[in-house]
Amino acid sequence: MEVKNRPNYLLIFIALAVFTLVETLVSYVQQEAVKLPTLIVLAVVKVLLVLLYFMHLKFDSKVFGYLFMAGCVLSIPLILVLMIVMPMIV
Amino acid sequence: MSEMHMQETAPVAQQENTKLGIWVFLGGEVVFFISLILLIAFTRLTHTDYDAQFREHLSIPIIALNTFVLVTSSYFVVRALEAISYKGDQKGLRNNMLMIIVLGLIFLGGQAFEWSELFAAGVDLGNTYGSPFFTVTGLHGTHVFVGILWAVYLLFGHRRMPFTKENHLGIENFGLYWHFVDIVWIILFTIIYLI
Repeated sequence: MEVKNRPNYLLIFIALAVFTLVETLVSYVQQEAVKLPTLIVLAVVKVLLVLLYFMHLKFDSKVFGYLFMAGCVLSIPLILVLMIVMPMIV
Repeated sequence: MSEMHMQETAPVAQQENTKLGIWVFLGGEVVFFISLILLIAFTRLTHTDYDAQFREHLSIPIIALNTFVLVTSSYFVVRALEAISYKGDQKGLRNNMLMIIVLGLIFLGGQAFEWSELFAAGVDLGNTYGSPFFTVTGLHGTHVFVGILWAVYLLFGHRRMPFTKENHLGIENFGLYWHFVDIVWIILFTIIYLI
């Protein structure tokens, strides 16, 4: 697809690379209260950058985004079953 | 709608249908990989000795480098699409596709190295942590391998009908798949190696 006002893909790539480096360094931090939220936020930001800009979801038909989200929603029963079953096993 | 009008619009609609098909496929892949991620999460939450028994065998710097390689390959996918869709640059497309293949192979090489190190340390498919680890990273690696085969086909097997500025949906669809594989790795990297 052709995108008007194309984003700076090089800048997005640099952001992804820097976030990967930061994630790696944060993984050595001992305080879980700092480490866990930082790693989750960085991973979510990286995923969104790839989805929205590299995969053009920001500029493309919303239907494609709904299809992607449908996959996440369809997985909710799996997560619920796991949450129910896990206390029985642990 | 007249027959002539249908003939004029059909190729465009067909192209959009192909892209829709890729997104439907990726939606299914989301369910598939979330179930695999849950497998890892389940193993970690039900075994308290994860760090001592398994995590200490993982080489985070090497895998961080491998993650960088895959992220870089995603950037080359964008460059390949830019080259053909905005400039009609066949050479640019070829060079970027070649880089994607090389980086994909480097990623698989890094994974093979990691696996050999784990096998040497006694972590194998029969191990409590090895079993889900090799299943999940192996299935992701298989997706990377399929992506490489797809890229090789686009680079060498598609020469009879070369991509043009107007007709480059094949590259765009491949790109969507490759970026998705990259997204999955970003999540796996965080869950398996960093947290």
